[in-house]
Amino acid sequence: MFRYIVRRLVTMIPMMIVISILCFTVIKLQPGDFTTQFLTDPRITPEQVAQIRERLGLDQSPVVQYLTWMKGILTRGDFGYSFAYKRPVQELIWERMGWTVAVAGATIVFSWVVAIPIGIYSATHKYSFFDYLLTFIGFIGVSIPSFFLALILMYLSLSLGGTAVGGLFSQQYIGAPWSWAKVVDLVRHLWIPVIAIGLSGTAGLIRLMRGSLLDVLGTQYITTAKGKGLSQRVVIYKHAVRNAINPLISVFGMQLPELISGTIIASIVLNLPTMGPFFYDALINSDQYLVMTFLMLSALLMLIGNLLADILLALTDPRIRYE
Amino acid sequence: MKRLVLAVLLVFVIAFSAVAQQAVVSPALFEEIGKPGGELVLGLATAPRSFNFYGIIDNAAYTILYNIIEPLVEENPATGEIIPGLAKSWEVDESGTEVTFHLRDVKWSDGTPFTADDVVFTMEHVVMNPNAEGNSVDRFTLGGKPVLWEKIDEKTVKAILPSPYGAFTRVLTHALMVPKHKYEPFIAALNDGVEPGTINQAWTTDTPLSDIVGTGPFVLSEYVVDQKVTLQRNPNYWKVDPEGNQLPYLDKLVYLVVQDEQVMLAQFRSGEIHRVTITGQNYPGLKREELDGANYRVLAGSPVSPVPSPPHLAFNWDVEDEELRAIFRNDKFRQAMEHTIDRHRIIEDVYNTLAIIPGVPVLPANAAFYNPAIEDIMREYDLEKARQLLDEVGIKDRGDGVRVLPSGRPFELTLTTAVNVQPHNDIAVILESEWQELGITTHLQLVSSTLVGQRRTAGEYQAIIEAFGNQPDPQLRKAIWQPGRSLYYWHRSTMDENQEPVLANMEDWELRVFDLFELGEVEMDPVQRKAYYDEWQAIYAERVPVIFIAKGMELQAVSNDIGNIFLRPNGQIVGTNYTAFVK
Repeated sequence: MFRYIVRRLVTMIPMMIVISILCFTVIKLQPGDFTTQFLTDPRITPEQVAQIRERLGLDQSPVVQYLTWMKGILTRGDFGYSFAYKRPVQELIWERMGWTVAVAGATIVFSWVVAIPIGIYSATHKYSFFDYLLTFIGFIGVSIPSFFLALILMYLSLSLGGTAVGGLFSQQYIGAPWSWAKVVDLVRHLWIPVIAIGLSGTAGLIRLMRGSLLDVLGTQYITTAKGKGLSQRVVIYKHAVRNAINPLISVFGMQLPELISGTIIASIVLNLPTMGPFFYDALINSDQYLVMTFLMLSALLMLIGNLLADILLALTDPRIRYE
Repeated sequence: MKRLVLAVLLVFVIAFSAVAQQAVVSPALFEEIGKPGGELVLGLATAPRSFNFYGIIDNAAYTILYNIIEPLVEENPATGEIIPGLAKSWEVDESGTEVTFHLRDVKWSDGTPFTADDVVFTMEHVVMNPNAEGNSVDRFTLGGKPVLWEKIDEKTVKAILPSPYGAFTRVLTHALMVPKHKYEPFIAALNDGVEPGTINQAWTTDTPLSDIVGTGPFVLSEYVVDQKVTLQRNPNYWKVDPEGNQLPYLDKLVYLVVQDEQVMLAQFRSGEIHRVTITGQNYPGLKREELDGANYRVLAGSPVSPVPSPPHLAFNWDVEDEELRAIFRNDKFRQAMEHTIDRHRIIEDVYNTLAIIPGVPVLPANAAFYNPAIEDIMREYDLEKARQLLDEVGIKDRGDGVRVLPSGRPFELTLTTAVNVQPHNDIAVILESEWQELGITTHLQLVSSTLVGQRRTAGEYQAIIEAFGNQPDPQLRKAIWQPGRSLYYWHRSTMDENQEPVLANMEDWELRVFDLFELGEVEMDPVQRKAYYDEWQAIYAERVPVIFIAKGMELQAVSNDIGNIFLRPNGQIVGTNYTAFVK
């Protein structure tokens, strides 16, 4: 097992390099660069724009730019400089990490906590009224874009007299020291993003859990277990669910990058101080090293998430061995 | 007794010196005298990327910094007149090339006195520093020579101009003074081992806020990344209201970062934000709510400021197709196209009636420069005249309603504009239907505004709808409206690759416009300057190098809890952060 993990970690290195080359190529395929916006400003002459390009190294060939960036990472742990913020990119990403992980974490926890029991209920009460109802809600969750759901929830909240629209806190609590009132205020704001962003994930998980459990419930060993006279409870929770959960563990690994990337449009609509809108701005401004670092971080989380999922699978399922 | 006299004397001296450095704000900014205390909450569409006014191009940063740092001379927010700022007075010598500024006795918010050194430093090493990404070198360079700055004594500074410069005080209103003692370490010319680009790294968002000092009405007190910027009143601010009360009234000024326009409006409705700029589409709904007793007022102000930028229609004089190039360069063709623009319909349909007929491009409210004669020159909507003119140009109906070029090819036009700018988009659709009616096959190319900018710069378009803000002084928009400059984009061949004007490629009237801008720049007499710019406006109205379409009104909604944000009798919205107060 240990050798397997080491081998997986080592293969991540060439993988990351290939991903970085792909990402950089795509960024460079975008027309224009960071200095393009200066060309439309009457205060700045094109001559000065050329100077700025030179200073930022944007006049060099993309290959040179890429290699210089890589060299900075490998030799100094320097992920480059944000053109827009005039600061090192890792600082900027770090500043926004807290809320990003907190909101995404809450959303993921919400979707799992809601989805697993509902999935189990739907599977065990197949074709019942509540199965149809929950499945229907699930389909709605999958089909409505989260930003739209966010708008609907905000509208409902506003028209019912609520004042908590957008953001994570009321104005006076932003930056204030933690207190009970601030926590209450956070909860009053947080339910909209958690439901809006979490519901689509929830719906998917319900479908997956239901389908997977139904497959398992149809197998012979379940019939055997029932035949041995085990209680329904033991059959389902001890035997069926443990086997049905495997596909969901793989999904769990895939969700790790969502901790930072999440849903960009929904975050803008909900006015969340998370990485999504920040990343979107960087893309629009061609703030290339910020975009690169963000994409690399996201890719790394994806690889690590997959590895974690594989390890978890090995732990939960004795049939899986990687040696 | 002696002690008492001394004490009384001392009180007098202190009182007098306090009065001496204060200045009464123009009564035009007041609807009523305010009361101190409270906070005003405003929205920001993006988080500031830096607190360095000269390091970035970022409206969020500018919005915040205008509360913190100040220029030598200011524009009266109500009347647009030039008034004293950090310079309490100034005089110009007879040659018009030496301007001496007498500085006000004020302190930076950390207690350091503001002196002539700060002014010379700011102008030489920051404002006129070509390595600063938000510099204004171009505005302080005349005929290739820079304006020079000289300290006379601690409180006196002299500017030496290469030639007389009519808009000098106007451009100075945009040069905000930064403290030398905080900015100096970032300047390459004054420090060994500092790189030229380092100036841009001054006052980034991670700078301790106590280092960001200014002379303005507010100082930064808190920044919560991507969420909120809080400013506190500067208790030593030098402005007082007409009754002598200390300004600003507000204890706190809060900017909430709200990216989405609809969410910002929702937060305004729920009372979290006190003042928002709105669009013509939101106006009727909010106005109805106001009349139904909502706790806010909706103001529609006559256009006086550069934004919203008035859209114009332009044709590419250097388009690759030779036949089209000749057509686009033909005055009669562009005049015909002006006749196809139904400005009144556009104002009604696109702007919900909240717009006016634009200037060319000076705003009608700009008494200092507007030339009313253009109103008689601008062409009315008249498709019949448009047809006649097109016939004269040689673009004729071949019999089946399709107009063909002299070569016999059907006349097709591609109209490019920004899909994400609602008025431009809607105007393009209206123009398309008018042109189809004339027999011109029109293709709309609706792309993102960034892409529109790129196509414009690269000359990859035929017809385009674009917009530039109106500025109070034409000199400030020289880079756009003077032929041969970098943003005279419809006729780019008037500029060579070294960014120098090519007189040989200009039409006669373009040469005249070129000269008028050169003359206006160095003229000090306001009457003569107006005469030059009047002529320019008349030429533009006649030759229509670009066709101005409409100018949106200034629309705002303000909470009734906030005072001194109001419509003046002339229909203009006034309301500054240092005169606003909580009722």
